[in-house]
Amino acid sequence: MDYQKPIPLKNQDNHPYWDAADRHELLIQKCESCGHYSHPPGPACSKCGSAELSWENLGSEVNGTIYSFIISYRPFLPGFQDDLPLVIAVVELDKAPQVKLIANVLNCNPQDVSIGMNVKMTWQDITEDRALPQWIPA
Amino acid sequence: MAQIKDRYAIVGVGESERSKNSGTTPLHLALDAARAAIQDAGIEAKDIDGFMSYSENDSCTSHQLATYLGVRPKYVKDIMGGGSSTEMLIADAIGLIETGQVNTVLIYRAMNGRSGVRMGGGGWDINMLQSAIDGGSFIIPYGAGGPAQWFGLFATRHMHETGLTQEHLGHVCVSFYEHAQRNPKAYFYGKPLTMEAYKETPYLSYPFNKHDFCLESDEANAIIVTSAERAKDCQSRPAYIMGITARQCVSHSHYWSDLSEVAADYVAPELYKKAGISPADLDVASIYDCYSWVVLRQLEAYGIAPRGEVGDFVAAGNLRMGGKLPSNTAGGMLSEGYTHGMNNVLEIVRQIRHDYKGTDRQVENCEFGLCTGWAGPDIAGAMILRN
Repeated sequence: MDYQKPIPLKNQDNHPYWDAADRHELLIQKCESCGHYSHPPGPACSKCGSAELSWENLGSEVNGTIYSFIISYRPFLPGFQDDLPLVIAVVELDKAPQVKLIANVLNCNPQDVSIGMNVKMTWQDITEDRALPQWIPA
Repeated sequence: MAQIKDRYAIVGVGESERSKNSGTTPLHLALDAARAAIQDAGIEAKDIDGFMSYSENDSCTSHQLATYLGVRPKYVKDIMGGGSSTEMLIADAIGLIETGQVNTVLIYRAMNGRSGVRMGGGGWDINMLQSAIDGGSFIIPYGAGGPAQWFGLFATRHMHETGLTQEHLGHVCVSFYEHAQRNPKAYFYGKPLTMEAYKETPYLSYPFNKHDFCLESDEANAIIVTSAERAKDCQSRPAYIMGITARQCVSHSHYWSDLSEVAADYVAPELYKKAGISPADLDVASIYDCYSWVVLRQLEAYGIAPRGEVGDFVAAGNLRMGGKLPSNTAGGMLSEGYTHGMNNVLEIVRQIRHDYKGTDRQVENCEFGLCTGWAGPDIAGAMILRN
């Protein structure tokens, strides 16, 4: 069956991130002027306004720690009705704690999720050519 | 900078009928609210020369409203916005009056928030949402489709850091629902909430259950702002604006790298300085309450209780009548109605004017009132009124 949930829309500013995701890699935008990681990516650094941006490849072994989370018991968007309860977490990257990345936490009982929990990134192949970064317990 | 303390006032407030299915247009609702505010002020529609509104593309224009009040306005303005827009437009109105553009401004919010366009979603085009929201493609594909989830991520972290519990969220709800029992116009009038019932309610989106969410309603609210000088010609008792901080921002709320600060943290110090009073001087408050947690976070931001002690503050009953700071005394958006904050503005004006004197709804002898607006963790504004 076709993937029913929203597929990340690529645009001028974010496509390197999603292109990398499709290759099962994590690319994070970084400011060349102030060194700040800009996530989510944008047309300029959200810290200093510089347009001197680059992309840092964090590869396919990405670990992190749950910084915050919520658990949805109702689908607030179409396509999620079979995923309830749904854990949506903000995860602090071990390699770049400044970056907080949102995704679902899969393969675990929502009741077991807590702040400080170790997770690692996985990529869900949602269509033939698209993949979605997700978290699973480390 | 012009000193505006006590030189401007809210001189009229009014609302339309409140329902879940108005069966009419936002323009009709806006006209009802505007006429009520005009009557409250004891002026003529033609005394108003500026009209402003905020909306999420779900309302009528202020030019339309003026037209059907039979007024040729000198100034009309409609902005896109939700929470904290009232405070911003009041400050804009003061600026316009101060520079001689207009004399008296009517500000309104009209919406079929339940039967028309619902903020809580439903029927949204998911690709439109990804584009419309900054960073949308980093949240929408994960099912984070509404403020309950966006703000919830701030809430879980904040609760973890400061020791706030589910029960503390419940105290906000129970206190505001209790106020609604004294307000026959409140949506939850006749539907009190006990802590026991609150705790038994299943989560809708952890850490929130349905009581932690604001209502959706069809209604319009309006207020009239003018100079203290002109206020003397109005029949109503003016609610003087001691200080107003129209808007402060921090990084967009979908930038999650820093959940430790919210825009309200930057509003408070400026506001108290302008008003010349401190949090301890406040007698009554309207605290933007799209979610219960948002109230707790603002109690911290506005210095009403120190970080880490906000839970004890609400658990001690301080938001209730007779508490240290009775808040959202009409029931707030959790239990009265929802117009992106303007119903809370109407209530603080009525408290400050002592409209309820002689009833158990009046905060006795209240002199200073705080009214806060919250568009999100990233945008906020507030004002302090006095009688």
